[in-house]
Amino acid sequence: MSRAVTGPMITADILKLRRHRATMAAAAALSVGVTALYLAVVLGRHHGQLPGVRTLGDGTSLMGLYFGSFAATLIGAEAGTIDLTAGVFRDLAATGRPRTALFLTRIPAAIAVALAFTLTGFALTIGAALAFHGSAPAPGPGLIAASALWVVLATAVVTALAVGVGSLTGSRAVTLTAIIGWQTVASGMLYLATFLGAARDLVLVFAVSRFQPGPAIGTRANPGSSNALNTLKLPMPAIVAIVVILGWLIIPAVAGAWRTRNRDA
Amino acid sequence: MPAGRARPEAVLVTTSAAPLIIETRGLTKRFGSRTAVADVDLTVPAGCAFGFLGHNGAGKTTVIRMLTGLTQPDSGTIRIGGRPLPGHHQEVLARVGAIIEEPRFHHHLTGRENLRVIAAVRDPQARRRIEPALERVGLAGRAGDRVGGYSQGMRQRLGIARCLLADPGLIILDEPMNGLDPGGILELRRLIADLVAEGRTVFISSHLIDEIEKTCHAAAVIDRGRLIAQGPIAALLGDGGRSLEDWFLALTARIGAPS
Repeated sequence: MSRAVTGPMITADILKLRRHRATMAAAAALSVGVTALYLAVVLGRHHGQLPGVRTLGDGTSLMGLYFGSFAATLIGAEAGTIDLTAGVFRDLAATGRPRTALFLTRIPAAIAVALAFTLTGFALTIGAALAFHGSAPAPGPGLIAASALWVVLATAVVTALAVGVGSLTGSRAVTLTAIIGWQTVASGMLYLATFLGAARDLVLVFAVSRFQPGPAIGTRANPGSSNALNTLKLPMPAIVAIVVILGWLIIPAVAGAWRTRNRDA
Repeated sequence: MPAGRARPEAVLVTTSAAPLIIETRGLTKRFGSRTAVADVDLTVPAGCAFGFLGHNGAGKTTVIRMLTGLTQPDSGTIRIGGRPLPGHHQEVLARVGAIIEEPRFHHHLTGRENLRVIAAVRDPQARRRIEPALERVGLAGRAGDRVGGYSQGMRQRLGIARCLLADPGLIILDEPMNGLDPGGILELRRLIADLVAEGRTVFISSHLIDEIEKTCHAAAVIDRGRLIAQGPIAALLGDGGRSLEDWFLALTARIGAPS
């Protein structure tokens, strides 16, 4: 038997997730549903026209920072805990397959499922921004591609984080509360705490936002704040952002793998 | 008697010349200050149905959890098919099918999908064994239904189908008769006999002594964490004409009585 993660293992984990109707319905509502609602409201406010570039930016933030991120967290938390809560983990462990492989399988499976939702929501935004921009400039292909890549990055990072924390805690509720609370409420407050200066670079959502298309708020010497919160982009060096993101990926993943290896099955 | 004290009355009969599929030496597991399993030397010959008897809480499931690598012994050794379990964990367990405690599944998946999940974790041939396994346990017609709607007996049968995905040399069943109606028990008895006829070893943990007597060729008895008897059932019972149940109750009462 191979020690490695295999394609069929990832496919099986995707099956477990996509057959979970309640999770899929919630993820669809948070991503596609919220995007559709947002577009309908903006279309109504602007009499059937959308400010193309601004709409794309808002739609990108909706998927990468807010509701799409919640959907990704939900899916990651489910992936990290589903075998344990069903009582199937011991049967998987008793096959002899290394538990580290069982853990590592969850990450690509959860990311694949989460991306299906956030990219669908994002595609809806692109379609609307292109179809209804009216006399305003339409977003160019470069901006669309950069925004799509950023949604992929933001979704993958938060999903992997949720898988790690879920595998560590074994509790979906704790994982959801901790990650959504930290990523939105706590990070939102920290974003406004300009007196912290560069220390805020350690916050995951700011590091991820570093790569979001669009200008940063303020300068590194004089970091500003915004009440709009449609972007959480601070001026930080790219290398710092990469190191912070890797830290937020590796530490929970190692903790989740360790707990999966040592958990009483 | 607390686990750990010597039991000179233990009945150990070794008559089988068959190679051993399970062999433990000095197997011990403690939970805090409580010794759940103490110094167990278990020998299970290959190619038979072997009963593992004990009252509730005697240590049966803890032994099974150690045999399946779910928990590590504090001391002692385990060899399955002649290979040490910690050293050959993957190779050994790849050919072991086990139902540990009650069979658990993803309720939101169908029976067939649940088997696909386990087959994906096992070797590449396991997926081809799904349909034959479902046929064998009589669930082919309901394999497309969600497991949430299965009866306890159907889940037991699906658990056995899950064991068969490994094409196992050793099948470990922990209380497999739980939740089965008389017809289901009869079917299971036949299935176990068929599996043994194919050269597999079926290790059955149960407190239903009557079923062990009807199903198994050999047995071991664990009581308060200690192995107090093992061997072929006929040899354990001797010529007294007693049932296995009477023998078991007399043995556990005698061993457990204060000296």
